[in-house]
Amino acid sequence: MTSLYSCQHISHSYQQGAQTFPALHDVNLEIKAGEFCLIMGPSGSGKSTLLNLLGLIEPLQKGRIFFHGQDLQAIDEARKNQLRRFQLGFIFQSFHLFDVLTAAENVEFFLTRQGVPTAERRTRVQQALEAVDLWQHREKRPQDMSGGQRQRVAIARALAKQPAVILADEPTASLDQDTARSILVLLKNLCDQGRTIIVSSHDPLARTYASRVLNLKDGHLQAGGQADAH
Amino acid sequence: MLIKIAFLNLLRNYRRSLVGLLTVGFGVTALFLFDGFNKGVMRQYKDNTIHAKYGHGQVNTKGYREQIFEKPWEHWIEQPQTLIQELAQVPGVSHVFPRIEFPAILQAAELNVAGRGLAVDGHVEADFFNTMNIVEGQTLRDEPNGIILGHGLARALAVKPGGRVTLLTNTVHGSLNGADFTLVGIFQTGLKELDDSHFRIQRGAAAPLLDTDRIESVALGLHRDEDWPTVSQMIRNKHPELDLTSFAELDKVYYQHAVDWLGQQFIVIQWIIILIVALGIGNTMAFTVLERTTEIGHLRANGESARDVLVLLLWEGTLIGLIGSILGILLGWLLNITLLKEGILMPPAPGLTRQFFVKIELQPLMLVVSCLLGTVTAALATGLAASGRVRMPIAAALRYR
Repeated sequence: MTSLYSCQHISHSYQQGAQTFPALHDVNLEIKAGEFCLIMGPSGSGKSTLLNLLGLIEPLQKGRIFFHGQDLQAIDEARKNQLRRFQLGFIFQSFHLFDVLTAAENVEFFLTRQGVPTAERRTRVQQALEAVDLWQHREKRPQDMSGGQRQRVAIARALAKQPAVILADEPTASLDQDTARSILVLLKNLCDQGRTIIVSSHDPLARTYASRVLNLKDGHLQAGGQADAH
Repeated sequence: MLIKIAFLNLLRNYRRSLVGLLTVGFGVTALFLFDGFNKGVMRQYKDNTIHAKYGHGQVNTKGYREQIFEKPWEHWIEQPQTLIQELAQVPGVSHVFPRIEFPAILQAAELNVAGRGLAVDGHVEADFFNTMNIVEGQTLRDEPNGIILGHGLARALAVKPGGRVTLLTNTVHGSLNGADFTLVGIFQTGLKELDDSHFRIQRGAAAPLLDTDRIESVALGLHRDEDWPTVSQMIRNKHPELDLTSFAELDKVYYQHAVDWLGQQFIVIQWIIILIVALGIGNTMAFTVLERTTEIGHLRANGESARDVLVLLLWEGTLIGLIGSILGILLGWLLNITLLKEGILMPPAPGLTRQFFVKIELQPLMLVVSCLLGTVTAALATGLAASGRVRMPIAAALRYR
């Protein structure tokens, strides 16, 4: 497998008034294409910060991140937008769906913004919703769906973009055990189809599906980090 | 899709959108109606000036109005009949009114009051000068020895229609002359200065009183108000020895100053309305944008630039502005054909002594301008409210609670 991400000496902290809160400390990391990489750790360990840095939604303070060998510090905001639009797909704990759009329209929205032609867009929307088993609910709006269904719409939305990487921040945190398991199975299937999946979670269930687990504690990446499961 | 989302977002928090729509709508209604009202007032002023006093303009001998002569009658128009016939043939001219203005002492019973008379062809003037506002009796038409007096002058002389009034004046040769007249009517122009001193008699009666066949001026009535520049130029070309003065210049203090004053007032009020709309929309959109900070973060996390997100929000502001403006125009139009159908009764304007009705004259151009102002103001206010928020760091926007 080729290297997708290469992180070198990443440190990050948050400023609140006069106080500084360190979030990551000298993290070095390689993530290969096609991995199901699980970032674990207790609350405040820096999981989300690391995920946000990999997803280019948190400005890098210290260190370097290479994506496909490209130094992310060296590219401008327009190029970062391009990467976010075409290469990265996000799944958030709180779904972030557009309340005013149906499930199908939510999935279609970012495809429109990618400039995907109408016919292909419709095909991709159908494929993505079928992949998450929600095609029959395509006309429903988020408020008419359960938490699990909403998260699956969010996954379908990320999937339809056909990104190189899907980054998921606590995707099962607000779901019951059965729904959480189905979401993780879905992510595992996507990984098996060749996508790189990076998930931050403190849900022990997620370990079962990850090909690699990274443990963070107080902003430090713990030794090891190889697959400890399937 | 962007416009669809913008439109659907308006429905998401319909109460807030409604506040925005009402803010723009009422603002545009106010702009639209106020402009119509302003045009109505100006029309009243214009009609009052044209149809109560001067016609559309006046013809005098060259330099007559600018200079002060010891014997002004020496500079009056000679052989007026030829000129009157010629002027009546000029395209665009509907009426020709030969006139003489002269000072006189008016007597009724034991009372003497100084006044200023206008000798006119009553039967010609009666229909055109229809805003003189005859408050008692009737206007001067065919009565050879009839006289009409301003309201204040009639009160000072304590006369009523049917009463006798004696005029004492100097002939153009300097000798004292007098004649008796019968009061046929009392007029009230609304201008105190005029109503307290002015009277009108027939030109046929003034000629022997002043002992002259000359006329001082010719007032002109036109088919259309806007034809004055063309008509006056034609006459000027043919008669370089004559001066032509429009009603606006003749009545500069009353008409032109009022028009200028109202115009300035309208601009100030227009800006106040625009500011209120901008603040209202800015406030509404600031709340909307704040509430949707995480959505903004999500859009940006998926590759939308700050500019793209701003465009989305601008669409929402623009839609509120456009829909609100259209509703505002409709409301203005509806009010104008229902509640304001009869016009608005106005108290006496500066210099006037009577109330008057103002009809609101809605202008097609102002419809477009009001719509544009409402829409652009809403879009700009949205842009100002949203520009900072769309540029905040993505992760910070996503964390926002």
